[in-house]
Amino acid sequence: MGVADAAVRAVGVWKRYGGGQTQVNALADVSADFGKGRFTAIMGPSGSGKSTLLHCLAGLDKPSDGSVFLGDVDLTKVPEKQLTHLRRDRIGFVFQAFNLVPTLTALENITLPLDLAGRKPDQDWLTTVIDTIGLTDRLSHKPSELSGGQQQRVACARALVSRPDVVFADEPTGNLDSRSSADVLDFLHRSVRDFGQTVVMVTHDPSAASYSDRVLFLADGTLQSELIDPTAESVLDTMKKLDSAPAEQH
Amino acid sequence: MFKLGLRSVLAHRLRFVLCTVAVTLGVAFAGGAMVFTDTLSHALKKNYAVSTADITVTPSSPIETGTDRPPTFQAGLADRIAAIPGVASAASQLLVSDVEILTPDGKPLENYGLTSFGASWPRDARVAPFKLVDGTPPSGRNELALDDSTASRAGYAIGDQVRIVTPTQAVTATLTATTTPVAAGAAAGAPLVSFDGATAQYLLLGQAGWTSVSVAVQPGSDADAVSKAIATTIGDSVKVRTAQQVTADGEHSLDSTFGGFSTVLVVFACLALFVGTFLIVNTFAMVVAQRSRELAMLRAIGASRGQVTGTVVAESVVIGILGSTLGLLIGIGVAVGIRFTYQLLDLRIPTASLQVSPATIIVCYVIGIGVTVAAAAPAARRAGKLPPIAAMRDDVTVPERSLLARISIGGFVLLMAVLLYAVGLNAGGTPGVVLITLGAGTGVIAIVMLSPLLSRYVVRALMYPFGRKAPVTLGRRNAERNPRRTSATASALMISVSLICGLMVIAASAKASINQSIADALGTSSILITSGGTPTFSTQIGDRTAQVPGVQSVHRVRQESGQVGKVSVRVSGVSDGTLDGPVTTTFDAGSAAVLGSGQAVLPRNLATTLGLTVGKTFDLATTTGKHRLTVGGILAPNRQLNAVLLSLPAYQKIGGPVTDNLLYVEVAQGNQVAEVRTGILDQLKKDYPSIEVRDQQAYAATAREPVNGVLAALGFLLALAILIALLGIVNTLALGVVERTREIGLLRAIGMDRPQLNRMLRVESIAITLLGALLGVVIGVVFAASVQSSMVDDGLAVRDIPVLQLVIAVAAAALFAVLAAVWPSRRAARLDVLRAIASE
Ligand SMILES: Nc1ncnc2c1ncn2[C@@H]1O[C@H](COP(=O)(O)OP(=O)(O)O)[C@@H](O)[C@H]1O
Ligand SMILES: [Mg+2]
Repeated sequence: MGVADAAVRAVGVWKRYGGGQTQVNALADVSADFGKGRFTAIMGPSGSGKSTLLHCLAGLDKPSDGSVFLGDVDLTKVPEKQLTHLRRDRIGFVFQAFNLVPTLTALENITLPLDLAGRKPDQDWLTTVIDTIGLTDRLSHKPSELSGGQQQRVACARALVSRPDVVFADEPTGNLDSRSSADVLDFLHRSVRDFGQTVVMVTHDPSAASYSDRVLFLADGTLQSELIDPTAESVLDTMKKLDSAPAEQH
Repeated sequence: MFKLGLRSVLAHRLRFVLCTVAVTLGVAFAGGAMVFTDTLSHALKKNYAVSTADITVTPSSPIETGTDRPPTFQAGLADRIAAIPGVASAASQLLVSDVEILTPDGKPLENYGLTSFGASWPRDARVAPFKLVDGTPPSGRNELALDDSTASRAGYAIGDQVRIVTPTQAVTATLTATTTPVAAGAAAGAPLVSFDGATAQYLLLGQAGWTSVSVAVQPGSDADAVSKAIATTIGDSVKVRTAQQVTADGEHSLDSTFGGFSTVLVVFACLALFVGTFLIVNTFAMVVAQRSRELAMLRAIGASRGQVTGTVVAESVVIGILGSTLGLLIGIGVAVGIRFTYQLLDLRIPTASLQVSPATIIVCYVIGIGVTVAAAAPAARRAGKLPPIAAMRDDVTVPERSLLARISIGGFVLLMAVLLYAVGLNAGGTPGVVLITLGAGTGVIAIVMLSPLLSRYVVRALMYPFGRKAPVTLGRRNAERNPRRTSATASALMISVSLICGLMVIAASAKASINQSIADALGTSSILITSGGTPTFSTQIGDRTAQVPGVQSVHRVRQESGQVGKVSVRVSGVSDGTLDGPVTTTFDAGSAAVLGSGQAVLPRNLATTLGLTVGKTFDLATTTGKHRLTVGGILAPNRQLNAVLLSLPAYQKIGGPVTDNLLYVEVAQGNQVAEVRTGILDQLKKDYPSIEVRDQQAYAATAREPVNGVLAALGFLLALAILIALLGIVNTLALGVVERTREIGLLRAIGMDRPQLNRMLRVESIAITLLGALLGVVIGVVFAASVQSSMVDDGLAVRDIPVLQLVIAVAAAALFAVLAAVWPSRRAARLDVLRAIASE
């Protein structure tokens, strides 16, 4: 995959916490490309640095070392204010929980990034996105009146509405039952397949990872291996292999 | 539980700081008032309310309060008393106020509000209220004595020529002696001029007369028995008091003098605490909501309902103690400051040690802790009701009582308010004002109760012009989010603003009414002469004014207080033609001519109060006794002459003093008012430096001054109440930021920049502030307008709603709202996005 095809690139990213004796390397020299129009999953045991990596890629956190490119913009060199606007205009987000502003309706939550930017939503695209999440009749509801799965789908719609360069999702199905999880994953999958959206998703669920085109495995802050066109079984296999391999090897 | 409460307060320091400030301010007002009053009245009692005479005999006054001059009696009385068995000596004494002392360069001596007295030289050292320090006692019309403190303050030495102005004339005399108070007497700290007895009567009263007889009893006689003997011998034309009774009366009158001052402070303490209550209620509601999971956990591990409630109550006690302590200290500090200022002025104010009585301390703690605990009670109760399983749930909501009960009760209270109001508007006069005030108070309570319901719609309407941009919508929705909290915060502001606005409207109306009544009553060619030093002045001033070129006529107005039945009234003597010349009047019945036949003319408002009509007779009591008068005419209410009016001879006949209070000077045609005014000033200024000569407009300006004074003093105190209300807004916003940490993190993550975040909080702040300010303005204006309409005949003839000032007040409130949002915004902007979205 060529450089030109990457929506986001991590180049030698380090993230250290603390100092001296207690220093922790949450990320140690991570380099990876995330292709345009691709659905990439990041997997790894708890504490392996998945969220940290995602936050660095999304411009929510600054790496201690290395660079992150969104297209050809080096996010580590952009000042805070512009970074906020980049997040608003070119990046979409889905967190594990508490994704929605409780005082806004579902529709207002979806269009919030555009409203913040002072832009008018593209009506056709908005309709398409809303149709895809299948909540046309719930748009005027407040988040508290929606189920967990519905809330996550609204969050996905919000992430897509500004046609961002890339959508980041940190364990978007972590709090959901399997049916709602399937809905959300299906939606992310279709946004990649039908609309050519780029998606990077952190998960620890092998069946969630199987919706992706490619899985990166992370352990102790370093990339261990990757899997193209994964299935739930092949993901599980790889995880087992990594588990049995002693960490000292790296 | 107390320990848990203390920990919680320490852990949530920030949340409780503003709570504490609110309690502190309220307690400081109350504490300061009590300490200052105690200290001053203790000092004064110690030094003033002591009598040197064993028995004091004074003429009994036919009127109960508000005499401008003491009643007097003739010389024979002392001799009659001296003849009573047991009396060693009886000495007549003259003591009157309203003497003005001039400095060597001819300016009035500044007395910092103390009254100066004129006295006769004591006849008997045994009962003398003051004694010689240096020199020889004054004798004759060319000699006087001064108390040593005043002499040195003014810069006079024995042998100097001293100028003073008494109610009867301007005097220049040689200072032959300095005096000092013996231990006692009503005038111990005040400036005192004394003359020999005959001179004192001539210069101070203009006629013979004494104000008291000081009696010394023979050694071995019982003062009480002698006092009874005097009372039975002389009869009830005199009041006989022993030294103890004089002391008790003195203390009583000092208490009532300072009582008024401390009442004002206590009222504001109540207001401050009342407004602060809303702030405390909010803080505790929020803290309990935030800690609900922790509290539920306590329940889950076995704490009883009572114990959970107890932790919250304990927190409020901690804050109450803290706030009361700080408040008490500040209060004492304020009292010390006031005392220090008095000392700086170099007055002979006796300085007792600071009086911090146990009562003050107890009251401060009781109100401080009481208010805090009461305000925290609803939150504490709700905390106790949290079910233990709430600890296991994700989204804990503290159960809140439905608004239904509140709204129905609020509706009922509102109905009552409207009824009271309607009745009050119809009643008019003083009962009307009382009913309207009650109605307004009830209405405020109703609106406070209903405001959670109102707040949503009002906020939406108010915020409409701010557009629909995302930060605006978010800010507005945050303000609508918790109607109880928003309305409690806004209510605090509403109450303060309504008081300020009511005050503004009433003050503006009062000023407009003064302007109008003066313009209506006085021609532009009139000049008014009053004295800035003493309320009454010598008739020579009128005589000399009449000689100034360009003066066509001088009309005298004399005044003193009187009483009809139980109603205190002013009594005025006016020279012929005053009613149809310089003062324009409209007669409802009768005419000015009736004055000539010795009948009285009353303004309509007074006639209505007294139930009098033309032809009826009434008994007027003055210091000289009861006098039967006939009503000859009724005037439209007139600010200039709001009194029982008599001709000068009739006034003199009922014992009115021969001194003037006001002169109306009419300028002859073809003369410039300004030139004549200068002429009069040249004529009078040298002998009477305090005399004030004004044209119509300048006079109106002076008449407006007291209104400005009240406005400034009350405005300052009310501004403090507004400050507390604004602290409440800062508090609500700051707590909101803490509470919505995660939400703010989310907004930041999906692209809300800092200016937008600031705008969001600003909008919330403005929404709450405008809600409170506008409700306050409406309540204040409606209230004041109704009061005005009830008092058309009582000095508020004109309604003036100062629209511009009110608009400025609301705009200022909005500006403060922006300021109130600054600190919470900064906190919000500093939130670490990652922390916020990761936070529990
Ligand atoms: N703010 C922080 N301060 C210190 N250490 C942190 C911080 N955030 C994360 N870490 C550490 O970095 C490592 C990676 O964390 P994270 O990216 O959250 O892991 P994952 O999402 O894979 O579970 C962990 O060891 C965690 O303890
Ligand atoms: Mg994680």
